[in-house]
Amino acid sequence: MTWANLGILGVGGVLLAVPVILHFMMKAKPKDIVFPALRFLKEKDISNRSRMRLRHFLLLMLRCLLIGLVAIALAGPSVASNDFGNWLTLAGIGFSTLLVGAVLLLAFFRSSKNWLLIGILSVLMIGHLGYGAFAYSKLQGPESGQLIGDDQAPIAALIVIDTSPRMEYRNENQTRMEKAKEMATWLVGQFPVDSQVCVMATENDQPFFSVDVAAANRRIETLEVNYSGATIPKTMLEGIQLLSKASQERKEVYVITDMTEMSWAGDSPGQLVRLLDKYKETSLFVIDVGVENATNFALTQLTLSSAEISARQKLVVSTEIQRIGGAAQRSISMTIEKHDPPLPVVRNDVSVFPTAAMDPQTLTKDIRADSSEKAKFTFSQPLEFGTYHGKVKIEGQDALDVDNERFFTIRVGDVKRTLIVHPAHDDDKHPSHVNPIVLQSMLAPREKVKAGTNRYDAITMTQEKFVNEADQIGVNDFNAIFLLDPLPLDNAMWQRLEGFVNSGGGLGIFLGRNASDGGVGHESFRTEAAQRILTGSLEQQWYNQEADLFLSPKELIHPIFSLVRISPTNVAWNRFPIFVHWGIDPDGNEKLPTQTLLSFGNREPAVIERVIGSGRVLVMTTPVTEYGNASGKGTWWNALFAGNRKPAWMLVSGMVSHLVQSDAGSLNIEVGQPASFGNDLRKFPESYQVFTPRPDRRPTEIHTLDGGRIRFRFTDYPGHYRMKGRNNREVLMRGFSANLQESTTNLTRITPDKLDAYLGPERYQLAKQQSEIQRQQGATRRGQEFFPLAMLMAMVVMAVEYLMSNRFYKS
Amino acid sequence: MSVEKYLKPSVINQIKRLDLRAQFVVKGFLHGLHASPFHGFSVEFSEHRKYSHGDDLKDIDWQVFAKTDKYYVKKFESETNITGYLVMDLSQSMGYTYRQELSKFDYAVCLAAALAYLMVSQQDPVGMVTFNEKIRQSLAPRSKRTQLPNILSLLSKLEPNGTTDFENSLGQLSAMLKTRSLVMIFSDFLVDEEQTMNALYRLRHGGHDVILFHVLDEAEVNFPFNGMFNMRDPETNEELKVDADGIKAEYIEKINEFRDEMAKQCRQSGIDYVPLDTSMQFDKALLEYLLSRRARG
Repeated sequence: MTWANLGILGVGGVLLAVPVILHFMMKAKPKDIVFPALRFLKEKDISNRSRMRLRHFLLLMLRCLLIGLVAIALAGPSVASNDFGNWLTLAGIGFSTLLVGAVLLLAFFRSSKNWLLIGILSVLMIGHLGYGAFAYSKLQGPESGQLIGDDQAPIAALIVIDTSPRMEYRNENQTRMEKAKEMATWLVGQFPVDSQVCVMATENDQPFFSVDVAAANRRIETLEVNYSGATIPKTMLEGIQLLSKASQERKEVYVITDMTEMSWAGDSPGQLVRLLDKYKETSLFVIDVGVENATNFALTQLTLSSAEISARQKLVVSTEIQRIGGAAQRSISMTIEKHDPPLPVVRNDVSVFPTAAMDPQTLTKDIRADSSEKAKFTFSQPLEFGTYHGKVKIEGQDALDVDNERFFTIRVGDVKRTLIVHPAHDDDKHPSHVNPIVLQSMLAPREKVKAGTNRYDAITMTQEKFVNEADQIGVNDFNAIFLLDPLPLDNAMWQRLEGFVNSGGGLGIFLGRNASDGGVGHESFRTEAAQRILTGSLEQQWYNQEADLFLSPKELIHPIFSLVRISPTNVAWNRFPIFVHWGIDPDGNEKLPTQTLLSFGNREPAVIERVIGSGRVLVMTTPVTEYGNASGKGTWWNALFAGNRKPAWMLVSGMVSHLVQSDAGSLNIEVGQPASFGNDLRKFPESYQVFTPRPDRRPTEIHTLDGGRIRFRFTDYPGHYRMKGRNNREVLMRGFSANLQESTTNLTRITPDKLDAYLGPERYQLAKQQSEIQRQQGATRRGQEFFPLAMLMAMVVMAVEYLMSNRFYKS
Repeated sequence: MSVEKYLKPSVINQIKRLDLRAQFVVKGFLHGLHASPFHGFSVEFSEHRKYSHGDDLKDIDWQVFAKTDKYYVKKFESETNITGYLVMDLSQSMGYTYRQELSKFDYAVCLAAALAYLMVSQQDPVGMVTFNEKIRQSLAPRSKRTQLPNILSLLSKLEPNGTTDFENSLGQLSAMLKTRSLVMIFSDFLVDEEQTMNALYRLRHGGHDVILFHVLDEAEVNFPFNGMFNMRDPETNEELKVDADGIKAEYIEKINEFRDEMAKQCRQSGIDYVPLDTSMQFDKALLEYLLSRRARG
């Protein structure tokens, strides 16, 4: 509790003496009268005198209380807003206790005592005292302690501005970002002189205090929407750490946001609550610049039939147009840029990009309210070798434009060469239980090969031949090698395979019964060389004959699920039981990045990816190419290709594509992700100029790294990133596209409960208008004032005093 | 306007002459009496009258019939033998009133005058005694019409003064009375109850009929005070600070207890007790007198 005018409290204390002096010095003179029947009064005189004394005492108390309350009111007591409820309770209890006490005294000194009433009042009194003690203890508890006082003292302020793409939402001809900046500038302007201000955007930047108010304002002016930023809680965590080091006693945090849930999601709420608990003196204001019922059109992520196609292969681009709000009609267009050398170039400090498009296509869709419509474009023009950028766009006006465009990049090149290695046939009459034709038809369907539109060449070979003629075959000439249910391999072969992967090749290993040696992994699958490929030691087979073990995909983000995720809910994995699979004991080799992409229902890994050098290995712990009717194979390992083959086909096809197009995954990335490509210096230039989607930014120069790769990390904006290199004066264009995650533009507002979970209930003040902020700032800085309450109580006491004195001294 | 208004102390206060006061009070009283449930009871001022049809046969004076051979009713013969004493308490407390027209003493004087008027009119011998600590003045009882001016003259000169000593005063009075008399005492009896009752017992024991006119001020009965008062007893000069509101109920209870106790003890001793306060009409007291007289008739 603080006092605005503590001196008045002292004066009030002195003034308290006045009624006491008056009580003793200037007692109200009773009227003198003659009364002959005095003797009848004398007998009652003793009790009457005690009662009179009590009444005088009560009157004295009331008068003292009156002066005390007026003095308290004028002294301007304030308490922290958080504690106001407790103080109010305490004041109420105190006041009520005084009244109950007074009534109890009166009841006690009455000549005809009502013991029931006295008993009830005593119990009430005890209850009051008990509750009062409890309320007081709460005020002394650790929850209390917000700093209050002079509202003109300098403060240390942290202004966190939500710079997510959602802040580009336009309402009343103003984006949320513009409104947030306006609010932040106003805030900075009304901070007390000599305050320290730190302006932070949700963009992973380091917090710092601006030198002065002008610098803070400049910082606010230069803030831009950030497409790959941090969440508000994360930004606050860093900002509050800085704030806690400030010398100013009063610290205030302002979070200016559109209140969309995505701005907060993703971080563990407890951490921020704990930090805010630690710095109790820090006041927290959440300023809502959002819109309650937002409307929007948005495109979902594009799905390409393939990001890497051959010259005559057609390209299919699928997406959905989503609508939040009423039904509407919109046109959606797809364009693919035409190469226009020497573009892109920088002219007058501005990057100029090609604008001509090949075969632009437009669809018109009627979208129902709050629903979505699918859109599909097919591009079948033959393309020359090279990299092409395209985009799909919703035409027309929308409140939030940023999700109306989706970008894609494709690469047109040679047919990729793949090698399928299968175990040797036992003999012609008893074919191997492994059938390479499934995979072969997947990679290079016969009709596409005939038409010349196949993406891959697929050569099959027995493992025996592969091992014996490895040198002649030219292993490194293949883009990908698939080992179907491999037989034991010696270390030299494992090392040769590692070398192949290291130089950028893709290796797929589908483990099966041939790796077994009496139920456990064959020794050759447990050597160190083998473990480097297999990601661990092949230990044991897991059996499940109950047909209740299935593949259990969790997240479908990885490229191997690119086909599965088109209709994830349509894949009923529980119709394809797994009976046997290998268990791998991880080697824990941290130098080789390894991740489990897919698990079984028992959480054992089904598909593991390991990156070695420029290439990668995918290990599947159950085979995918079993003949259902193969004789002598013993039990089935799985039923992935029994009946409806489509789900397994989509999965394996995704794996194959991922392996063959070793860096095609980087052609289309999410904003913020680094793009990484192999850069064989025999074919490609050593360095590139990278033109980002923003014409006002100068191109960045990147060079080939050790390991023959190029990498670009600053993919902060959605759009096309064009990499321009020169190879013997010949311009060579590569590039990629970055898109926002779909969830980035989810405009769902955060619920109060969730906000409470992030900031702590009643830990923050929520405001929309400047006037609200001012009021809350005042309440927080000065605390909640007790003046009106104290005056009200004084008036009640005055009324009681008036009634009592009138009654006592009625003439 | 009816003469009954003169039964109201506030009206009678407007008449300054005591003889007129007495006359008006009695006339008012009698006027009311004709219409009262005591219809048929009348006051004749002759000793004998001729018997008329309907008179009670036991009222016939057979001695007169023997002498005159005529029937005369001796109705009031025995009544003329009642010797009345008006005994006035002169103590200081009797001079008190809070908000009434008449003080207790004025009220008692009016009442006494009216009774004297009534008695003299009926040719009853009436005397008067005043007392405080002791008997101050006395007037021997006579039934002549000249007695009334004497009594009224004495009454008009009286001033309340001093304190009361009932035991002593009534003892003196008891010694003074030779014949069986009707003693009518006008007092507020704000003294020790036991001593008062002892004195009254002695008086009663002497064969006298006693009527106590217990005159209290209306304020002493109703205690109409609010707030704080410093109250002083006019006789003892004792003072007391009083919260009137706080004590009112208990006081009224106490004063009623006092009057009830007086009434009870009087009833037990055959004393007529007439509780009065200065706001009451005079007829109650007069009626009490007539009832008492009739009972003795």
